[in-house]
Amino acid sequence: MTAAPGYSDRVRELFMRPPHAGSLPPGPGRVIAVEAVAPERGAWLEVTARVEGDTVVEARFRAWGCPHFIAACELAVARLEGRPPGEAVQFEPAALARELGVPAEKFGRLLVVEDALRALAAAPPESK
Amino acid sequence: MSGPVYLDYAASWPVHPRVAETMADCLGPEGPHANPSSSHAEGRRAAQVIEQARESVAALIGAAPKSIVFTSGATESDNLAILGAARAGRDRGRHLVTSRIEHRAVVDAFRQLEHEGFEVTWLRPGPDGRVAPQQVEDAIRPETLLVSVMHGNNETGTVNDVAAIGTACRVRGVLFHVDAAQGAGKVPVDVEAWNADLVAFTAHKLGGPKGIGALYVRAQPRPALQPLQFGGGQERGLRAGTLATHQVAGFGVACELARADLPEEERRVRGLRERLWAHLQTVGGTWRNGSAEASLPGILNVGFAGIEGESLFLALDGKVLASSGSACNSASAQPSHVLRALGLSDLACQASLRLSLGRWSTEADVQRAADAVAEAVARLRSLAPAAALERIR
Repeated sequence: MTAAPGYSDRVRELFMRPPHAGSLPPGPGRVIAVEAVAPERGAWLEVTARVEGDTVVEARFRAWGCPHFIAACELAVARLEGRPPGEAVQFEPAALARELGVPAEKFGRLLVVEDALRALAAAPPESK
Repeated sequence: MSGPVYLDYAASWPVHPRVAETMADCLGPEGPHANPSSSHAEGRRAAQVIEQARESVAALIGAAPKSIVFTSGATESDNLAILGAARAGRDRGRHLVTSRIEHRAVVDAFRQLEHEGFEVTWLRPGPDGRVAPQQVEDAIRPETLLVSVMHGNNETGTVNDVAAIGTACRVRGVLFHVDAAQGAGKVPVDVEAWNADLVAFTAHKLGGPKGIGALYVRAQPRPALQPLQFGGGQERGLRAGTLATHQVAGFGVACELARADLPEEERRVRGLRERLWAHLQTVGGTWRNGSAEASLPGILNVGFAGIEGESLFLALDGKVLASSGSACNSASAQPSHVLRALGLSDLACQASLRLSLGRWSTEADVQRAADAVAEAVARLRSLAPAAALERIR
């Protein structure tokens, strides 16, 4: 491989400047941290989400993987904000693959994103 | 100072301006346009250009001009040597020896021979990436027909002791083929000292054009080779097809230029390579793949803990042009067979990058590339989960 393979401008932008990269420090609300790890598949994702009431008010991620995977993480995590954590299960890897033009051989990496979001949705609700 | 730093010389060199000039002259209205096999005056003029180039190409590797067969490149040369020698000698033996770190042009030729009923012993290199001559001696059997071990590795730059391996083959009467695509023109090559019967190399990795290479075929004793293509009997019947005069002429000039300043260039490029390595070590969490001592001057293969190769590639896009140690084809996502043979994990293979320097590389290039790599690695590490930084190495 002697040159970066074909990536769309959108993937490049999300990979080079992902606004939701990072971790959330403790603060107001409840911070949920989840992880999905599959280095043998080329994917490792940590997601932290701050939940106030029943809404994700802020979400961040840390990821190891290829540019498509990192772009997918950014998009998926950005879409958590403003929604209940339980809606994370509505994540559709196939739709994201189409949206970002993720090659078929990398589809398994999007399942790692799905695993992380399902873990987030399954996090126990805040005790009252 | 604008534009990306080209550190992919191991893949291909820019064509030297004097080579381009020679080729343009050949293609111009006054050039030797006739078929070099034609017996008329213009044909003889073209043949003279070919033979002059053949002398220059032969001189680069310490060979006699008559032992040079022009091909389309190192891949064809490797194929002609390996398939040609095995098929021509199948009645004498069906055992072959090669290593796990060869270029795909060699690996795939041997795999083809396995399909054809040959048995291949695949030698595993040591952790430094070198194949020990003793391994070759131990692998040779009475029915062994051919040994093929590369000179300098295209991914790590590690150089094998091909002279010792060649001696082991010669005393046992086994043919010895060397893929010297990376080393020819960068370090002294002496096919006689190597005791080699067949040596493959190419123009575009030493400042010549793509599409032209050569196979050294020992003249005395001459190994039997079955040609891969048939036709006009060119190149002593080993490689049929009209020779491309301009390509051959360009190859000849590239060899002359490489030979003229080889010791100085070897020292200069090796110095740049070591400075690049020194800069990259300051990034932290780095390792070097292959031997630092027994190496070609221009190749540096570096691993970065916690880094995924494809992402490093894109992060460097537009700043540094290099090659990944992880895959020849991003779609395959297959870790490098060379790095795996050195004992690296798949993750460590994916975290590796080949940076290769050459004739036009400068100190400023080294500094710019090191700064760009350091910045990209830092950014990707800041993006990765902390645990991944520990595990990916």
